[in-house]
Amino acid sequence: MAVLCEVREPKEIDIQNFSFYYAGSEKPALKSISMPVAKNRVTALIGPSGCGKSTLLRSLNRIHDLYPGNRYEGKIMFKGQNILDKKIDLIALRIKIGMIFQKPTPFPMSIFDNVAYGLRLQGIRNKSELQDRVEDALKGAALWNEVKDRLKDDANALSGGQQQRLCIARAVAVKPKVLLFDEPTSALDPISTQAVEELVIDLKEQMTIVIVTHNMQQAARVSDYTAFMYLGELIELGETEEFFINPKVKLSEEYITGKFG
Amino acid sequence: MNKRKVINAVIMTLSTLSALLGLIFLFWILWTLFSKGINAMGINIFIYDTAPPGVKETGLRNALVGHLLLVMVACLIGIPFGIMAGTYLSEFGKNSKYANFIRDLSDVMMSAPSIVIGAFVYAILVNPVGHFSGWAGAVALAIMMIPIVLRTTDDMLSLVPQTLREAAYALGAPKYKVTMQVVYRGAKVGMVTGILLAIARIAGETAPLLFTSFNNNFFSTDLNQAMASLTVTMFNFATSPYEDWIDLGWAAAFILGAFVLFVNIVGRVIIKKRGRN
Repeated sequence: MAVLCEVREPKEIDIQNFSFYYAGSEKPALKSISMPVAKNRVTALIGPSGCGKSTLLRSLNRIHDLYPGNRYEGKIMFKGQNILDKKIDLIALRIKIGMIFQKPTPFPMSIFDNVAYGLRLQGIRNKSELQDRVEDALKGAALWNEVKDRLKDDANALSGGQQQRLCIARAVAVKPKVLLFDEPTSALDPISTQAVEELVIDLKEQMTIVIVTHNMQQAARVSDYTAFMYLGELIELGETEEFFINPKVKLSEEYITGKFG
Repeated sequence: MNKRKVINAVIMTLSTLSALLGLIFLFWILWTLFSKGINAMGINIFIYDTAPPGVKETGLRNALVGHLLLVMVACLIGIPFGIMAGTYLSEFGKNSKYANFIRDLSDVMMSAPSIVIGAFVYAILVNPVGHFSGWAGAVALAIMMIPIVLRTTDDMLSLVPQTLREAAYALGAPKYKVTMQVVYRGAKVGMVTGILLAIARIAGETAPLLFTSFNNNFFSTDLNQAMASLTVTMFNFATSPYEDWIDLGWAAAFILGAFVLFVNIVGRVIIKKRGRN
């Protein structure tokens, strides 16, 4: 059984006995995981490749549903509802739970239109409102000063780090309650990585953050809670500082001291 | 000199010569078209209709306009069908059995002899109605166009990275908006190129028009009637014994050649540009 620490903050998401099966597989990719996600805190998911951390993250906005045959078991409670419920409105869910991917994913359109995309989806047509919210989002993603004079330019012309911050701005613009980061800096240079990490820390004032990372130092730098996963199971959830200094489980200790990876 | 170097030199000479031989024929064709065609070109081509042999005031106006109309109507039918079918395959059918069956079928259709397509349209649109018509010609061309547009749409859409779709879904976009606003934009250049190449492909077809739109010696924009086209006119005139008709045939060949060359070059320039980005 996993060792879970006490979470003082309210639970924004509560994962209960959650298992996940990829299409055509009898073996679960995730085995009855239970853990809380603290509100307005950063929770990092770490573990070796193939441990299921991205699978778990991608369950939280049900992006797995794009591929037929994937199967969920158990419960993921969010705002008093089980988001695995068949009747849940996925569009409404994904507006509340946004996502940033490993590689920057700017849409093939202008910088402005990228950030405005989610807002327009929600039916916001008013030009000045769009302008204000795009500006706020770009400022929130620490990108405004770099792009304010070329909002009409193609988003693909930005550098990789700028593109990733643009994607963050695009996700932040719709004011989600939770933001999921799937290894957001693995394709970025150190300076861009630092910018994104600082952003993650700033953003937790406004939203709850779950971040998957390969990089233990990154987890230590940005997160408040760290969950260590191994072979589809949750091994330990701890307060980050405590977890890295004094892990409760032997396996966690071996992982953070580099005995396996 | 050692043996390896000799073999290398021989192979290189042979392959260079073969490449040159191919190019010689291409430029020979272009040169013949140009030299014979340019002599026959003149303002008369655009202002007079085809006339009996010996008449001074003769041109290709009816065939030009008819050809443009046929190609335009074929595009209006063929492009939307091709794009929608290609979108189905890439975004909905994906690798299902049914989708792969349609892909194979479409490939077979792409290599179907164009005269067979002409005969098919004759059987369903000309024979029952009792007369040739522009509609039948346009439908025959559209049938040739669909598999080409379908294939390029399918290929180009599947080149759009899956993460781009996921990113759009993650913002709460419904599927049709993801497809139309994000995926189409990502594949825009490739799709336009595919359409241009499909137009170039059908613009030079004669066989599907022979038994469908047939020919018309008079100016007509009525798609319910037989309609002149550059290719059928060229076929009829070039095989006639009359000097002035043969000249008109060359003019038609020149115009067609120039048009197809132009569309192909535009298509290729677009592909190149995309490669650089």
